[in-house]
Amino acid sequence: MVKEYIGTGPVAEATAQLDKEDRRKRDEEAHAWEEERSRMEALEAPIEELCDAAETLARAALLAAGYRQHKRGEWRLRRGDGQR
Amino acid sequence: MDSGEPEKTRHESLALERAAALKELKALIVRIQDGDEGAVPRLREILRAMPELARKFVNPAVQTERSMIETYAGVDALVARETLPHTLEAFRAKLGGESPSPLEQLLVERIAATWLQLHYFETLYAQNMDKLTIAQSEFHQKRIDRAHRRHLSAVKTLAQIRKMGPAVQINIAEKQINTAG
Repeated sequence: MVKEYIGTGPVAEATAQLDKEDRRKRDEEAHAWEEERSRMEALEAPIEELCDAAETLARAALLAAGYRQHKRGEWRLRRGDGQR
Repeated sequence: MDSGEPEKTRHESLALERAAALKELKALIVRIQDGDEGAVPRLREILRAMPELARKFVNPAVQTERSMIETYAGVDALVARETLPHTLEAFRAKLGGESPSPLEQLLVERIAATWLQLHYFETLYAQNMDKLTIAQSEFHQKRIDRAHRRHLSAVKTLAQIRKMGPAVQINIAEKQINTAG
């Protein structure tokens, strides 16, 4: 923060008032943005949980059916499981 | 006692049940992927309860979607109330088909939810673009990117399950392990 001495008198008082108003506005904006961020994060959390659950169940189903993921990529039927 | 308490407790206990099932599944998945085939029978045992297990996740998914629609109404009430429910219904009908298995149903709900979230974030960003600082704009864009990745991953998983065909479908829908011998 830079402090600037602007003397005394009505002009100085008006300047200080404007400065104070600016600071209040900036604080309000920062606060509103923080609230917005929290709200958005709260919106993302349940979707992430849903994605995690669905992905886990899908992987489990593939593994149970005899598929294995090849090097974190393609899913292939494990040798022998296709003929059962 | 607060009248909402039993309902809250029930939700909490269901959430704990879901979390415990997921935790066990994840541990088994890691073991199997590391080559421990001895974990497969337990995995199959859990999956025999798959329809029930998958349904336990569908209800929270639908609730999440409803709450997203309510949030959407804050930025575009007309779209939220008139268009979105129909679009989501069309999604379900088209992606789910006539008789989706519980897992497919869950995967379709996931696609609907991730699509809705992506659409909401994009709308919100478009509406506020001119008022955002560079840092805020970056934050929005990163969030949109994450939502986009989640949506693509959701679509990919459903496609994968469908591509694997009857082996996985039968396994899930009929509780029949066709690889069991």
